[in-house]
Amino acid sequence: MTAYIVRRIWQMIPTMLGVVVLVFILFNWVGGDPAYVLAGKISSAEQIANIRRQLGVDQPYYVQLWIFIKQVLTGNFGASWSTNEAVSHILATRLGPSLTVLVPLLILSTLISIGLALAVAYVRASLTDRLVMISCTVGLSISILVYIIVFQYVFAYKLGWFPVQGWGDSFWQNLVVYASLPIIIGLVVSIAPDLRLFRTFVLDEINQDYVRTARAKGLSENRIMWVHVLRNASIPIITHVMAQLPGLLIGAFLIERFFSIPGIGREVILAVERSDFPVIKAITVYVAVATMVFNLLADLMYKAVDPRVQLK
Amino acid sequence: MFHRSAARLIATAAIAAGAAAYGPAWSADPDKVLHLEFYVAETGFDPAKVQDYYSFVVNEGIFDSLLTYDYLARPAKLVPRAAEALPTVSDQARTYVFKVRKGIYFADDPAFKGRRRELTAEDFVYSIKRFKDPANHAPYESFVDGVAGLDELKKEAEKTGKFNYDRKVDGLQALDRYTLQIKLKETDYTFAYVMGLPNFGAVAREVIEAYGDDSNAHPVGSGPYLLREWVRSNKIVLEANPGYRGFVWDFQPGADSGDREIVAAMKGKKMPQIGRVEISVIEEQQAAWLAFQNGELDVLHLREQFAPIAIPRDKVNPQLAAAGVRLNRITDPDLNYTYFNATDPDFGGFAKEKIALRRAIFMSFDNAEYLRVIRKGQAMEAQYPIPPGVVGYDATYRTSIPYDPELANKLLDYFGYKRGGDGYRTWPDGRPLAWRYSSTPSSRDREIDELWQKSVERIGIRIQIDKNKFPEELKQERACQLLSRTASWIADYPDGDDFMQLLYGPNSRQNNNACFQLAEWDRIYERTKTLSPDSVERNQLYRQLWRMAEVNGVWKLHDTRYRNMLVQPQVIGYKKHPILLAEYMYYDLDNSRRRK
Repeated sequence: MTAYIVRRIWQMIPTMLGVVVLVFILFNWVGGDPAYVLAGKISSAEQIANIRRQLGVDQPYYVQLWIFIKQVLTGNFGASWSTNEAVSHILATRLGPSLTVLVPLLILSTLISIGLALAVAYVRASLTDRLVMISCTVGLSISILVYIIVFQYVFAYKLGWFPVQGWGDSFWQNLVVYASLPIIIGLVVSIAPDLRLFRTFVLDEINQDYVRTARAKGLSENRIMWVHVLRNASIPIITHVMAQLPGLLIGAFLIERFFSIPGIGREVILAVERSDFPVIKAITVYVAVATMVFNLLADLMYKAVDPRVQLK
Repeated sequence: MFHRSAARLIATAAIAAGAAAYGPAWSADPDKVLHLEFYVAETGFDPAKVQDYYSFVVNEGIFDSLLTYDYLARPAKLVPRAAEALPTVSDQARTYVFKVRKGIYFADDPAFKGRRRELTAEDFVYSIKRFKDPANHAPYESFVDGVAGLDELKKEAEKTGKFNYDRKVDGLQALDRYTLQIKLKETDYTFAYVMGLPNFGAVAREVIEAYGDDSNAHPVGSGPYLLREWVRSNKIVLEANPGYRGFVWDFQPGADSGDREIVAAMKGKKMPQIGRVEISVIEEQQAAWLAFQNGELDVLHLREQFAPIAIPRDKVNPQLAAAGVRLNRITDPDLNYTYFNATDPDFGGFAKEKIALRRAIFMSFDNAEYLRVIRKGQAMEAQYPIPPGVVGYDATYRTSIPYDPELANKLLDYFGYKRGGDGYRTWPDGRPLAWRYSSTPSSRDREIDELWQKSVERIGIRIQIDKNKFPEELKQERACQLLSRTASWIADYPDGDDFMQLLYGPNSRQNNNACFQLAEWDRIYERTKTLSPDSVERNQLYRQLWRMAEVNGVWKLHDTRYRNMLVQPQVIGYKKHPILLAEYMYYDLDNSRRRK
């Protein structure tokens, strides 16, 4: 097991290097020169050159790339070019609001989808199953933007059940008052695809011989579904859930913008709009690292869930 | 133990007595909480380091500039703020002397180590010098380019790597504790406006040095408000500065309807009245619009997309009107135009056939459709490069480049731009003709692209639309390599020079984005710089200059936008100012009028 983990960590190094080079090339190719915006409305070539010097974008590309690599190794990405705020402070302060929305959303979405998937798979091909699947297909076909606009208008403005937008100072106030509607919207959007996916995982298992054997032994349907079927269907479910975890670090762009939640997603949009490379670099690198770490964790969890899995 | 407690008691009593002795003139009520929105996130609050509108709105409430604007007067009129009076101007507008008011104090801050810190002329000297410190890369540096001696100080800093703030500069001196003298290299009648910009509010050297690179997060000024809370890009809370000197509301009504009502409600009040200003950054207009209707915002800058719902036929809709919501509309001091790069090898130059081509392209564009489709009717067609409300505006001027595709086609036919078999025109020498037009990937720009495409196809010209990110457009523009784009300019100060300088030859590769250079034009423009803004001659010369630019087909003017502000009934004395940004220090709230 230890050897496997060490080997996987070693494999992360070239992947990380690839990410760094790719981000660097993309930014320099399409990112635009931030000095021209930072210099202001009326600026001379000399002022622009001064800003480029201070930002280090006048250096040869290989020097800039080396600086980027050093930043990745030290975890110090400097300060935002547009606001001068330390990038570490940006990440530390914006992550909390994003997680306040996305962690409950992921937990609720996974639990509800698993429960519903087991239920509809159990009554597969029935009218209920068909109605649920049609609802999922319809739900999937509607853009999240529509859900946001309609839900914000109906539930926040017309019915007044939630605030239209905002964010407070206390965790509980944010979770209960401000994050509720965004979480509901997130659930409506995410349950449909998750339910369809999990249902197929469950259907794959429900026709296996061990299920028939369990029934022959006289086990209750609840025990068969929730213990035996779910345990065997859990590997693809774990893969799916773990793949979603890095997404927590980049927030939910649209939801954060529409509900004025000061999360990472909003910060990413701002950074792109302002060509704020230090922020873009840091977030990209952290997401890449998180993706690799969560993938490793997913593999380790397979082993925990199903001892037959061999880690090589 | 007893001694320590007694000492603490005595110290507390001394502070209380001191506070009473200062006798704060302000009467802001902490229960009066104003809720505003920002459409775009602020960037910070160090006056020398920021350039965005939203940061200015906050900074103007925190920092005292020497001058400001009369709240009611239109066109906008400069009045003293930290200065005792308007400056004494001499030596053909090359020397400005300001008297700083005595008894203005900075808000308390640990950087002052417990001392009460008075604002002096030296603070303005320091604050202005900061714009030339290369470490600050101040976006508004060019506004003090004319101050004698500052450039030399900057050059020295570039050599030594350190900006010497203690070095005396001829053009920027504190003659005594309260007298500031600024000497310019050349005549500039508009320089007083620069001292009314929110960027030129006074900062204290101790504060800037104490917070170093984090000065954006520690604004300490002597203005009516101080920063109480800042959740970056999300929420800004200002509170009335308890040490603020205060002022009595005493503005004279102008010609605008509603001014007298404002005067009747506000005259004689001690300002500021509002104890707390909470600003939320709400980027999505739907969220802001619903929040306003829910009563979560007191004032809303209504964007074009919601104008047809909120203000059909330019009147507040009946539902809002019944709730007491008012509309306050101004014409923004801005200008939107499309330009041709006058140095482009194909489309540029002053040969007749090139001028005819540029004018024909401009004549193919229907501004009426642009106002309807792009602006949703929330803008007025621009005829003159100086917008209304700005000194030098000429309401009688009519453009010589009207929408006339028929005439445009005739012009092109006359100069030999023949149509090929595909219906598109070629250059007179037979080469295929395509107009390269640049824009950003935004949805607004995409709509404008479509209008331009539709327009030039009316006259048989093929368009090639290049998509670039905004910084890339600026980069190409500064190198005079961008052929055409639709650009915008908003006034920094309400004087026509701020717009006319956009076509001055030496400003090419800066903000003369058309890279237009014509010796005769430049000569006349230089003459206008020596004339007082209120002179008739300057206005005549501006008219002559613009006619010359139109004849040469450099710019196609589009519009000047309206700014529609929706105001809740509890807001008393509100009037949107075209230049002043922190109006919240001039109006009041009546909580009893809030909708339940």
